[in-house]
Amino acid sequence: MPATDTVASSIDVLERRSRRDARDERLFRWLLKGCALLVLAALLGAAGATLWGGRSAFSTFGWHFLVSTAWDPGNDVYGALVPVYGTVATSLIALLIAVPVSFGIALYLSEVAPAWLRTPVASAIELLAGIPSIIYGMWGLFIFAPFFANHIKPWLTNNLGDQPDDGKLSWVAQHVPFVGKLFGSSYPFGASILVAGIVLAIMIIPFISSVMREVFQTVPTRLKESAYALGSSTWEVSWDIVLPYTRSAVIGGIFLGLGRALGETMAVTFVLGNAMTLSASLLDPGTSIASTIANQFSEASGLQKSSLMALAFLLFVVTFFVLLIARLMLRQLAKKEGS
Amino acid sequence: MTDSALAMNPAQVAATSAVAPKLTVRDLHFYYNGFHALKGINMDIPEKKVTSIIGPSGCGKSTLLRIFNRIYAIYPKLEARGEVTLDGENVLDPGYSMNRLRGKVGMVFQKPVPFPMTIFENVAYGIRHHEKLSKADMTIRVEQALRSAALWDEVKDKLKQNALGLSGGQQQRLCIARAIALKPEVLLLDEPTSALDPIATSRIEQLVEELKSQFTIVIVTHNMQQAARCSDLTAFMYMGELIEFDGTEKIFTKPGKKQTEDYITGRFG
Repeated sequence: MPATDTVASSIDVLERRSRRDARDERLFRWLLKGCALLVLAALLGAAGATLWGGRSAFSTFGWHFLVSTAWDPGNDVYGALVPVYGTVATSLIALLIAVPVSFGIALYLSEVAPAWLRTPVASAIELLAGIPSIIYGMWGLFIFAPFFANHIKPWLTNNLGDQPDDGKLSWVAQHVPFVGKLFGSSYPFGASILVAGIVLAIMIIPFISSVMREVFQTVPTRLKESAYALGSSTWEVSWDIVLPYTRSAVIGGIFLGLGRALGETMAVTFVLGNAMTLSASLLDPGTSIASTIANQFSEASGLQKSSLMALAFLLFVVTFFVLLIARLMLRQLAKKEGS
Repeated sequence: MTDSALAMNPAQVAATSAVAPKLTVRDLHFYYNGFHALKGINMDIPEKKVTSIIGPSGCGKSTLLRIFNRIYAIYPKLEARGEVTLDGENVLDPGYSMNRLRGKVGMVFQKPVPFPMTIFENVAYGIRHHEKLSKADMTIRVEQALRSAALWDEVKDKLKQNALGLSGGQQQRLCIARAIALKPEVLLLDEPTSALDPIATSRIEQLVEELKSQFTIVIVTHNMQQAARCSDLTAFMYMGELIEFDGTEKIFTKPGKKQTEDYITGRFG
């Protein structure tokens, strides 16, 4: 009976095919899982390696390593506070400048700019993101830092700082707490925490603004029109509707920029002054984790090398906490909106 | 709704109710990117009636509606020429404040689009652009709006929840609540039920019937039965022109123009 044979064989074919599909499906899932695990392994490996490399620094100095400002290769005494402070302070300044500017750029490009201008400006921003950091560093060192020292810094120290050239304290320095300390400096050069923060801001603006621009474009037109129809202005639509709608992606973009700022090495090394001293003033030089490592790694050995490794581990810790804070912030905001 | 009133043309309706028309459209032309989308529209929309605008896709009915609150003006390269007067004032005059216009002319869109906020905030949001209310007054106002939109009983226990958790029909009624919370005089509905199921649709239609005692309603619809069911007057548009505008019953039983008849009998469109 050839007819039943064909039927039987076609059932056979189907069965084999579905068995093969099931096997392929399993294989594919394992492959995907493997890719994801690779990231995790790389992260844990890097954190573990730096922790292991820094073990003698941690065991020698204990918790003291975190709060000590000493960094003395002569006496073999090391502390992480100055570079950790420099890293956090420069990155925060960078965010304070970059977030509002990026928000403005992204809003202009997605809501206000005429259509013919949008694409060229968006491409220009992406091009800016592709500039190697050494070029920003060079520009910072040769052009921006001297300009800052000659034109901006004198104004800041005289009008806001507690060490003005003529010795007369300004009203702000006298009455607003902390401001005098933040802007008081007798250091004559440009390279400083503030300059490093500004250069970092310029470097991360392209990242943050291009992420913001892209997500702003995903806001449904009808949503914006509904808000306009209730009498909202462009600003109100942007602030009340566009921003909340894209909130998690926007915060993601900001933290992408912050991640880059925290780990940025070359540009910061050039404009931060590389001074292992803790100063309250933003106009004094400082150092960051990444630039300390870059400056000292080639000659370090023994406890100094271990301390540098321990610094690298602390960079992981700082980044982890920053991301944790971001998560908590998002959850808090979501609660406020009732979702 | 009396038959005699419906059989009259809009001018007569306006005359018998002894009030001037709420919205008057005079020689209105509209262009986008050089395309002539509306060609000399003239119509008088009477107060506290439901006026529906029907016509095939692309006939310009939504475009016309979007001129009444100047929502088109948020886009570049769109241009309206002519006159649209609201209580005698030309709303197309750049001197007519956008905020004032949008407070007087509310709009509800095709798809329900709640804002990414709580249900309460969705309704309160628009009010804040126009009035400064105390917390207690705001609570009262939001409740009133939700009651008028026949939504209060369904949401009164979850005002603090995100509006995106509501069903499509509830979301659309929330959008209506949001619009009427401003106490507008005119309510524009742009195919408000095209994304809803039949039950949600009939609730919205019922709501339109209830709301017309307070508002002048203009509804654009794809659905001819809807126009027949819930409007007092019907305008038929085709290719950017207003073909016929008359009492709804007259349009659907004794249309004056061949094109209108062809459209409502399903011969095209």
